[in-house]
Amino acid sequence: MSEKFRADFYQNFIEDDRWKYIVNGLGNTIKITLFAVLLGIALGFLVAIIRSTFEKTGKLKLLNLLCRVYLTVIRGTPVLIQLLLIYFVVFGSVRIDKSLVAILAFGINSGAYVAEIFRSGIMSIDNGQLEAGRSLGFNYSQTMIYIIMPQAFKNVLPALGNEFIVLLKETSVAGYIAIQDLTKGADIIRSRTYSAFMPLMAAAVIYLVMVMIFTYFVQRLERRLRSSDH
Amino acid sequence: MTTNNDALIQVQHLGKSFDRLDVLKDITVDIHKGDVVCVIGPSGSGKSTFLRCLNRLEEPSSGKIFFEGVDITDPKTDIDRHRQKMGMVFQQFNLFPHMTIMRNLTIAPMKLQGRSQREAEEEARKLLDRVGLGDRANSYPSQLSGGQKQRIAIVRALCMRPEVMLFDEPTSALDPEMVGEVLNVMRDLARERMTMVVVTHEMGFAREVATRVMFMDGGYFLEENAPAKFFANPRNERLKNFLSKVL
Repeated sequence: MSEKFRADFYQNFIEDDRWKYIVNGLGNTIKITLFAVLLGIALGFLVAIIRSTFEKTGKLKLLNLLCRVYLTVIRGTPVLIQLLLIYFVVFGSVRIDKSLVAILAFGINSGAYVAEIFRSGIMSIDNGQLEAGRSLGFNYSQTMIYIIMPQAFKNVLPALGNEFIVLLKETSVAGYIAIQDLTKGADIIRSRTYSAFMPLMAAAVIYLVMVMIFTYFVQRLERRLRSSDH
Repeated sequence: MTTNNDALIQVQHLGKSFDRLDVLKDITVDIHKGDVVCVIGPSGSGKSTFLRCLNRLEEPSSGKIFFEGVDITDPKTDIDRHRQKMGMVFQQFNLFPHMTIMRNLTIAPMKLQGRSQREAEEEARKLLDRVGLGDRANSYPSQLSGGQKQRIAIVRALCMRPEVMLFDEPTSALDPEMVGEVLNVMRDLARERMTMVVVTHEMGFAREVATRVMFMDGGYFLEENAPAKFFANPRNERLKNFLSKVL
């Protein structure tokens, strides 16, 4: 048993330096996820601000409409189709770094979900907080920044962490536009060695460990932010 | 647009409607420096709406409000600047739960009036001591009782050194045994000649502290008088009826 395991391991990871598919793939996965998350948070934040400003004050009507179209289209179609459309249609006739395409696609996709997470956080804060801020003389933006946002962020942190986890795993379809991410790397090994268990399990374990590490840090941050609830 | 009237707040023909419901109909009143105006009346009479129009937390539908001679109902007015001089205390306290008490008290003076942290904290500490909460500077609002929260809310407004304090039923959300401590703070303020507009159900407070008591019902001020006369010799029928029920 252990003889066979050792032989399998050697064949899948050591021979021909096949471990490099895993390591390089992991690098690509992390790179795409990280930048897509940043893009998603920036986009989502912007959309959430526009939408909740519209809901609270009735201003920004046109932008709000635009945001709603964005949310409907992105949340209503599969992320893989969005990725393929951006790669083959939007950038079909230009040479462009495929990682950049993936970052754009996953970032734009994630932004829609992050927007709704942020918006629910903003709307969950009692209107009295806005009124208290305004009554002191803060303008709308200052009230948002100093008073509403910090509380909203604390409330949505678990949901935001969840969205990050979803995004990390969703990037595993990047192979469809021939990006060698972690999943694709493992699959390449499988196609070379004709043994599926080891490379795919390796990829699965790496995803799992990344998610667990991330979850640990989110929980620590949550605990820290909870210091004001007693 | 300015006026020559020396009233601190001058309300002219103020009206406010929500959809088709007219909550305020033609309110005209002057509030002078040092006035302690108590507004009483049944629920739904428009008292709170009137108060919230004074700093435009509610947008008036018609009429004008002058504060220190400036028409603050003019859309071109920088309302944020004028609100700095109009402290407001809410029924539900509305302290900022994610900040310590000290931060609650100093954030607005520091961000809006450019005061240094040391200066802002020094003043906050003085005021905290005066309301008997000097030891709570580093607590969070959730660690305080309702009465303590409301005293902090009053201090928060005072830290901006306002010209007038607006109180929107400040004791209505409190347990009965905590009402006294909040009213005491307000009594002290009145003694120091702070201009105050107080929407309240505390008839004892109105009788004792107010310089003027106003009765509101159906969106109108129906009667106004010095507290002694107001409670002893009400003229308006609805006021008589109201007082017979609450006294």
